Amino acid sequence: MAESVLKQRVDATTAALAHRLFRGWKAAKQFLYGLTGYEFTRHALAMRHELEAIFMVVTMGDLIGIPMMPPIYSLRFLPYVVPEISAWKRQMARKREFLEKEEYDLHGL
Amino acid sequence: MNTLFAVAVGALTVYLAYTQYARRIDRKIIQSDPKRATPAKLYMDGVDFMPTNRNILFGYHFKSIAAAGPIVGAIEAATLWGWLPALIWLVLGVSFIGWVSDYSAIALSVRNEGNSLSAVAHRLVSPRTRLLLFLFIFFYLLLLAGAFVGIMASVLESQPRTHLGIILLVVMGLLLGQMLYRWKMGLVVATLITVGITLMGILAGPLTEAAFKGFNAALNAMTGGTPIVTYFDPTLANFKGAEAKIMPSLLFWAIAICIFCYAGSVLPIWRMAQPVVYVGFWITALAMFLGLFGAAVGALFKPAVAQFQIPAFKAWNPQLGPAGTMPLWPMLFVTIACGAVSGWHALFGTVGTARQIENEADMLPVGAGSMFAEFLLGLLALLAVSVGAKGAPVAAFANGLGGFISVWGVPRDYAVSLAFASFIVIVLVVTQLIFRVMRVTLSEWLGEVIPPFRNQHVASFISVLLAILLVLTGTRIYLWQLFGAANQLMAALSLLLVTVWLASMGRNWLYAGLPMAFMYVTTAASILVTAYNLYYNVYQPNIVAGRIVPVIGSGLMVVVALLLLVAALFIGVDGLRAFLKYLRRPAPAPRAAPARR
Repeated sequence: MAESVLKQRVDATTAALAHRLFRGWKAAKQFLYGLTGYEFTRHALAMRHELEAIFMVVTMGDLIGIPMMPPIYSLRFLPYVVPEISAWKRQMARKREFLEKEEYDLHGL
Repeated sequence: MNTLFAVAVGALTVYLAYTQYARRIDRKIIQSDPKRATPAKLYMDGVDFMPTNRNILFGYHFKSIAAAGPIVGAIEAATLWGWLPALIWLVLGVSFIGWVSDYSAIALSVRNEGNSLSAVAHRLVSPRTRLLLFLFIFFYLLLLAGAFVGIMASVLESQPRTHLGIILLVVMGLLLGQMLYRWKMGLVVATLITVGITLMGILAGPLTEAAFKGFNAALNAMTGGTPIVTYFDPTLANFKGAEAKIMPSLLFWAIAICIFCYAGSVLPIWRMAQPVVYVGFWITALAMFLGLFGAAVGALFKPAVAQFQIPAFKAWNPQLGPAGTMPLWPMLFVTIACGAVSGWHALFGTVGTARQIENEADMLPVGAGSMFAEFLLGLLALLAVSVGAKGAPVAAFANGLGGFISVWGVPRDYAVSLAFASFIVIVLVVTQLIFRVMRVTLSEWLGEVIPPFRNQHVASFISVLLAILLVLTGTRIYLWQLFGAANQLMAALSLLLVTVWLASMGRNWLYAGLPMAFMYVTTAASILVTAYNLYYNVYQPNIVAGRIVPVIGSGLMVVVALLLLVAALFIGVDGLRAFLKYLRRPAPAPRAAPARR
């Protein structure tokens, strides 16, 4: 009986230790990613965003007061761009110049 | 005294300051609430505002704030006053001011919709603060660029063993950008190739030393061994002052560095600046990682490399040159900037990191945690220069760091090569970013009044030209201390904003207000001392000797010092007015602190 309780306790301690080690390893991997690859990811996202912003302007420009395409084409694109509209409008509202490029920005200093 | 003891002091500082002070402030005063929506969640756009895991953000923020600052500052301070004052300031600075500034700036931005310091200052203090901030940023970057280009040019000129590694770093950086963004290669493979080749180039440095030495000699032979510029430098001849000579080889390396930085400033960021920084990061991280653990265990396994060689304390007021003065207060507190406290961290924290904070509970580990990690970097630099002892400060640092690395079985000569290269790499990659930000700041600051400044080539060229002028004056220590003063003033400004913000909410503002007052008075005093030193120690001897270039350079530095002081006074007066206004107003009803996590 006592042996079984002891075994259970040892198992529980081992499992807790393994869990802690796993969490530590995961945190270390995330830290390393933050130190290294995360910046590339952010920049790649910013580059994609710039291209998408141009696409949004030429298709949905009328949403921010720039009629760029006949509405029939805009309507065809509409289902694909709806998820992006709110983020795109927020970005456009923050920019001081119409096609301000991320890499030449002072990041709001 | 050995390094193990100092590392233990550092570890204890981090533990006590984080658990006993920082956590208490986070819980009692800032009252971070994990349930409150952060700007990253409220305004998520997938680019600037993006909720990010705290561990990733910790790495990202640490990498963004850790540069050459903690290394150069510790080297200069240990050389001037000894290792003990430097160690005490590092420990006290990070415990009571450094983390406060970094963490509070992030909290300020998170609670103010992710706004930058200037935007918050515009609202809380006065509208002209943003303009003053631009002035600050440009001149302090200029001072930093001048100091870094000068240091790098002299190290490259005197250490031909580093040339191959540095050339390969630039080439591999360009290749990495192409691999990642054009050829769409995986990051791991591209990293292994580019970092591996750069590392081999650095380790092979001693083999190519003779060839590059011959190259430098050939450059100097072009003028028959005559210097291009001669000036009085009070830091030479064991701080007694002597004539310094700028040889063609030094000018060549200074111009080469500026061309590299110019390219980094005008090319798309993915093409050069970002990948070069990335490759450089691995080299530096490797050297620092091996060095820090080497310093910790060196005392046990290789005691010879872990014994302090320089005096614990040298003097309260070391004399630099015939008329120079360098009192411990206030000069130590601006000489060591980034390892103890830095305004740049607060600036970056508000515009970069605060917009990615997923949960208010992450503000402390990310903001304060990164500052404590930077403190360890400063501590490592201090240990390296304290055990190195041989030659000029940078050489002593490389010698000491090389000793720590050699604990792991790397031959001493190769380890010193790696240490030298890691120093140059971290300074070089930061300098190109400095020129980039200088160019953008100049465009934003003067572009609307003088349209040519909006052209990136014009703005970059002017920035490079001003930096070269500062290099030709040569007084590296004064340049560094002026930069440190501007940087610490920025920290004082961010602490001022936090104090005003806390007062506006009726919270206890003392934890930010007292460090702000100390930093404000100290940095203002240090600017006056530096301006005095520059005038009597550099400007006057050179004007008597009729040397025009050093006169223009040191005169420019005196003007910059006075401009910084005036800007600081304006900001201080505006801040005090705003503070008193909020203090007189009845405090809002207190908000219940969230349950302890």
